[in-house]
Amino acid sequence: MADINKKKIVLPLAPNEEFGSVKHLNTKKIKLPHGIPGHNLTEIEREVSADEPPALAVNDQLSVVGKRTKRIDAIYKVTGAAKYTSDIQLPGMLYGKFLRSPHPHAKIKSIDVSAAERHRGVHAVHILSVEPGGAVQRDNGHDAPAETYHVDKLPVLRYVGQPIAGVAAISDKVAREAVQLIKVEYETLPFVVDLDEAMKKGAPLVFEEKVEQQQTGGDVGGEAGAGQQGNLRGPSIGSFYGGPRGDVDQGFNESDIVVEGEFRTQVQTHCALETHGIVADWQTNMLTIYASTQSTKSVRNDLAELFDLPLSKVRVITEYMGGGFGAKFGAGHFGVMAVVLSKKSGHPVKLMLDRKEEQTTAGNRPNSQQMLKIGVKKDGTLQAIDLTSYGTAGIGLGAGVGRVAQDMYTCSNFRMAQYDVFTHAGPGAAFRAPGNVQGCFALEQLIDEIAEKLNLDPLAYRDKIDQSEIRKVERKKGAEKFGWKRKQPGSDSGVVKKGIGVAQGHWPRIIHVDSSATVRINKGGSVEIMSGVQDIGTGTKTILAQVVAEELGLKAEDITVKIGDTTYPDGPGSGGSVTAGSITPAARNAAYQAKMQLLGQVAGGWQVEIADLDMEKGEIFAKSDTSKRMSFVDATKKMRTNQIMATASRPDDYGGFEVGNAIGYDRLGSVQFAEVSVDTETGVIKVDRVVAAHSCGRPLNPLQIESQINGGVIMGVGYALYEDRIMDKETGYMVNANLDQYKLPYSKEIPHIENIIIEQYGAHSSTDASGIGEPANVATAAAIANAVYNAIGVRIYELPMTPDKVLAALQVI
Amino acid sequence: MNRFEYIKAPSVGEAIKMMNSTVPEAIINANKGGAHIVKAAGVDLLDLIKEGVVSPDRVIDLRQIPGLDKLNFDQQNGLSFGPMVTIATLAENKEVYKNYRALHEATAHAATPQIRNMATMGGNLMQRPRCWYFRSEGHHCLKKGGDVCFAQKGQNQLHAIFDTQICPCVHPSSIATALVAFDAKVELSGPDGKRNLLLSEFFTLPEANVTCENNAQSKEIITNITLPVLKPGTRSFYIKQGQRESYDWSMGDVAVVLEMEGKQCKTARIVLGAAAPVPMRASKAEALLKGKTITEKLAAKAGELAVEGATPMEHNHYKIQLFKTLVKRSILAAV
Amino acid sequence: MNNKSSNEEKKAVSRRSFLKGAGVTTASTVAMSAGLLSFKAPETAPKRPPVLGPGDTEVRLEVNGQQESVWVEPRTTLAEALRDHLHLTGTKVVCDRGSCSACTVWLNDKPVCSCMTLAVDAEGSKVTTVEGLADGDTLHPVQEAFIEYDAAMCGYCTPGMVMSCAGLLKRNANPNLDDVKAATSGNLCRCGTYPKVFEATLAAAKKM
Repeated sequence: MADINKKKIVLPLAPNEEFGSVKHLNTKKIKLPHGIPGHNLTEIEREVSADEPPALAVNDQLSVVGKRTKRIDAIYKVTGAAKYTSDIQLPGMLYGKFLRSPHPHAKIKSIDVSAAERHRGVHAVHILSVEPGGAVQRDNGHDAPAETYHVDKLPVLRYVGQPIAGVAAISDKVAREAVQLIKVEYETLPFVVDLDEAMKKGAPLVFEEKVEQQQTGGDVGGEAGAGQQGNLRGPSIGSFYGGPRGDVDQGFNESDIVVEGEFRTQVQTHCALETHGIVADWQTNMLTIYASTQSTKSVRNDLAELFDLPLSKVRVITEYMGGGFGAKFGAGHFGVMAVVLSKKSGHPVKLMLDRKEEQTTAGNRPNSQQMLKIGVKKDGTLQAIDLTSYGTAGIGLGAGVGRVAQDMYTCSNFRMAQYDVFTHAGPGAAFRAPGNVQGCFALEQLIDEIAEKLNLDPLAYRDKIDQSEIRKVERKKGAEKFGWKRKQPGSDSGVVKKGIGVAQGHWPRIIHVDSSATVRINKGGSVEIMSGVQDIGTGTKTILAQVVAEELGLKAEDITVKIGDTTYPDGPGSGGSVTAGSITPAARNAAYQAKMQLLGQVAGGWQVEIADLDMEKGEIFAKSDTSKRMSFVDATKKMRTNQIMATASRPDDYGGFEVGNAIGYDRLGSVQFAEVSVDTETGVIKVDRVVAAHSCGRPLNPLQIESQINGGVIMGVGYALYEDRIMDKETGYMVNANLDQYKLPYSKEIPHIENIIIEQYGAHSSTDASGIGEPANVATAAAIANAVYNAIGVRIYELPMTPDKVLAALQVI
Repeated sequence: MNRFEYIKAPSVGEAIKMMNSTVPEAIINANKGGAHIVKAAGVDLLDLIKEGVVSPDRVIDLRQIPGLDKLNFDQQNGLSFGPMVTIATLAENKEVYKNYRALHEATAHAATPQIRNMATMGGNLMQRPRCWYFRSEGHHCLKKGGDVCFAQKGQNQLHAIFDTQICPCVHPSSIATALVAFDAKVELSGPDGKRNLLLSEFFTLPEANVTCENNAQSKEIITNITLPVLKPGTRSFYIKQGQRESYDWSMGDVAVVLEMEGKQCKTARIVLGAAAPVPMRASKAEALLKGKTITEKLAAKAGELAVEGATPMEHNHYKIQLFKTLVKRSILAAV
Repeated sequence: MNNKSSNEEKKAVSRRSFLKGAGVTTASTVAMSAGLLSFKAPETAPKRPPVLGPGDTEVRLEVNGQQESVWVEPRTTLAEALRDHLHLTGTKVVCDRGSCSACTVWLNDKPVCSCMTLAVDAEGSKVTTVEGLADGDTLHPVQEAFIEYDAAMCGYCTPGMVMSCAGLLKRNANPNLDDVKAATSGNLCRCGTYPKVFEATLAAAKKM
């Protein structure tokens, strides 16, 4: 260290660049399962750090991992005992409420908060100078709250619902009253909320100057340095998978068949049942936050930076949270406001968005207009893919859709140009498989069109062009379960026509190395796992218990899981299906290291080698002499210390990464089959049945994976048929900013869903697990669209496929 | 949501003395304040208050007034029920199912199971339109005493296809569609006593007064609803089409009441809901069926006649085809 | 990441300006909660019932078999009274408009939306919340089945879902799939637990 300081060594890294790969002091070689059982399972040797646990066998040789395991916190949810952020009540707690813009575009000429301040029960009022952490929704791995604009002291208002000022009062109702007492003089400005209108020359500008802000959705489109003209920003021509390939024009010249289409998808809102919100308790020694978040550490990091606090002085707690689906990262404008109001008032402040605020300001999946063109040879070989897309994330960025077209099928000539279009609407945010869901709707319909032109069954054609082994197995097993039999489009007679369709999806295998866990074995046999990671409803608590139990030869219910608190080691943010793949290897490694410590003590006591000892079914025993055996509980009673404890972090993927320090090799594949009924007289579509075949690496808990797949499919049904953010072009308002007119699928819209979960071993880590959240949602809308075409013989290019669009396609209206 | 006083009215007479406004009056006179309005379960009222559309000073509860929650049916007098009868009570009533099938279907498909357990029939008939501009605090529309109808140039996919010129809000009660088809009457009680009128006369078009949907006076409340005895051989049905099959508002709904003699239709009453600012009789379609044997072809023709003269708006042309279908299907389901 | 350094200065400035902001802190000596808002004493005229509110008034509720008394304004909903005053936060408020049924409680054994019911209107009725469904430590069969069949994911719709399904079994001991779908047709679940909710409820019915 001292030498480095003296010699002023120029480090081979840029100031903000982080260290890349990691070297290990000692390594060892282990053989791990690789491939798909029943298909191509084999073993692969990996050189890993010496402190990694031994390879985990395939699931059917394990006792807890891979088994259907009841959710360990379900009892608290079914009894109402689970405390969510919205349920937190602290002594002296105040309620925060925003004054929000009633105009889609305006300047504030004057603002008078005096009457609000005088209102009985009001403790603090604060006017925003800028909108931090709110205009830009946060994404995984972005560590700094971004700010988009600073105009004088008061923000320019760029969408209906943009926050202007906040009030803290003794009740939610009193705070609302005070908000209405704030007098604002606005200078209204021209605005545009429609994608097509915003692209026209002379359209009102959302931003006068070039803006650099973080992209919103974990997707391409908003990359730094992209061009900006009018409301158009871009083009973005690549993704983390790289840029253009080959010569697209020549590819088309050499094609025998060219298909193209213009596809449109709508803006979808997340509609998590618990709204965004925070309880902030500013104390001189510690800022304590209860947050409904997908990443405790992202909230902590935002607030620490914004309020100039060391990371150690901000504690974020998320014991239970009511859904996020991508939109809940970072402190958010509400979080920052809650902290300011808490600091000003000296009281804890709770600031939960109401449903209208949630619908208009807290994120959405950007819409898209996609011009997709594909050229193929007579034998079906893909020759060229060309994609141009436009989409609006409102005042935010990240409307790209191209990754699926770029990466799902092998095609040597590929080109895309993706544009973000600014509109005067609330910012987009990452939303379950951002980009891929939109992109899949277009790509998988065109692939079906090619198959039809080649007179091939859609599955047979995909067998031909798809290199993915996992999807090959999924197609086969899915087709069997579904009873797939090729059917002529529009061949049903009668008014209600049935149709079948299939579509495929893919999602990268992403992990975050910033994922750590501590395992603690206490005298008396209780075992705890602790991590900052949060359970957003996916079942993270349960899979952590399973992994630790498996390692220690215990049952899942023997493990106490303490997560969702930045007091514990940082966990990953839960987005992009990263959680299972990131935190379970850390958990297993910590459990393994704690186990080694305990076995070390046992070995000392029994005078045997550690390697001779193992744990199974609640017992510790010597492999060489089975009479040497003691229950786990008794062994812990003999521990020299009260606790044994180990902390481990997610190491790099065993085989390294394909991109950066996060994107692993291979993909999570999915194939979904849909059966629909289309009423050709009313235009009403009903999804009758879905078979969903999926992979998520090593499946840890099939019971929970089924639930997640169901959830992805149902969300896809909503996206395909019902959901739509409806903006009034004349006034700039979202007219259905509620759960009444924003239509989501309810019980009678739920198809009969059958799941197929395929084990896929890739030797990535000590658990080899991966997530399932995004993959479950990618292909559904496309499969339904293909099934609708199959039913009525007319293709629908725009989502949602509502009765008016169906009737128009049928030329009935 | 404003603060308000609350009082339980002990009797209809007292309630009439206590109240000074209807909800529509309270909305257009918002700047004057001082509105004392009545409520039943308060489902729609609470919705309006939460949205900031209405801010009463005092709310008068009618639920405990004796007798307002009675339901009677007999073959001599038909069906009568008080305004505090819940939607669920009607939906679960066996006589309603047997004798007034369309009303059963309409009540069973209204709102959510939870709301059906709470919401009353009086409240259902008095609820305000679901137009998203009317329901938005940010849109001061004609119905709220403003001077613009935002739906004319705006998002009108769920609005009317008849009588669209002034305010194309459709009537929010889908149950009213069935009630009008049965020639239901409402009894209104006010300071000057009671008056009875057909529900179809109770509901009014925007040209009468755009700020309200009926002719209830400032101090009038619904105190009874009656459905006449039906002639033997009367068959009825009702179909509602929402965007969803689960709880949803109507995109279009149709009630059909056919007086049959053998296979022949003697008279027909066909009413369209969510087609106009009031539940709308399809007279031409009714006339077509008179004296004829119902066939699929005839029913389809009735569907065509039912939408004749419609003036759909920019985003709701689909409703023409929808109503054609619903009329046809309701007729066929009824016989 | 790339813009981090270039934004650094701008950010520092704007951070200060944000934190500085405007507006003042009102003295925190203002009394909190009850007592702050004037309470209007009930009128004593013999026949006319009292005018309640607009300030806090006493509302007596029977919740899960317990006699409770809360001081709330007449505009307070039953959901707010349960959550904010009786600390029964199992009942969730999601849409706040009767569209999602997350706030479902039983009023005299019938599922209703507590977000669209005034607390004062619940006087004289028996209120059952999700907290009162179990019989001591013995869970209601619907609760047991929800755990068994993984019918709760994020869990935020779960209390309402449980109350709807248990309410169904109270009326209909032998429901079919369509009955369960009808009973939950007003319950929104964004995680997509519906298939498991159906399975669990049918299984619970068999057990009961």
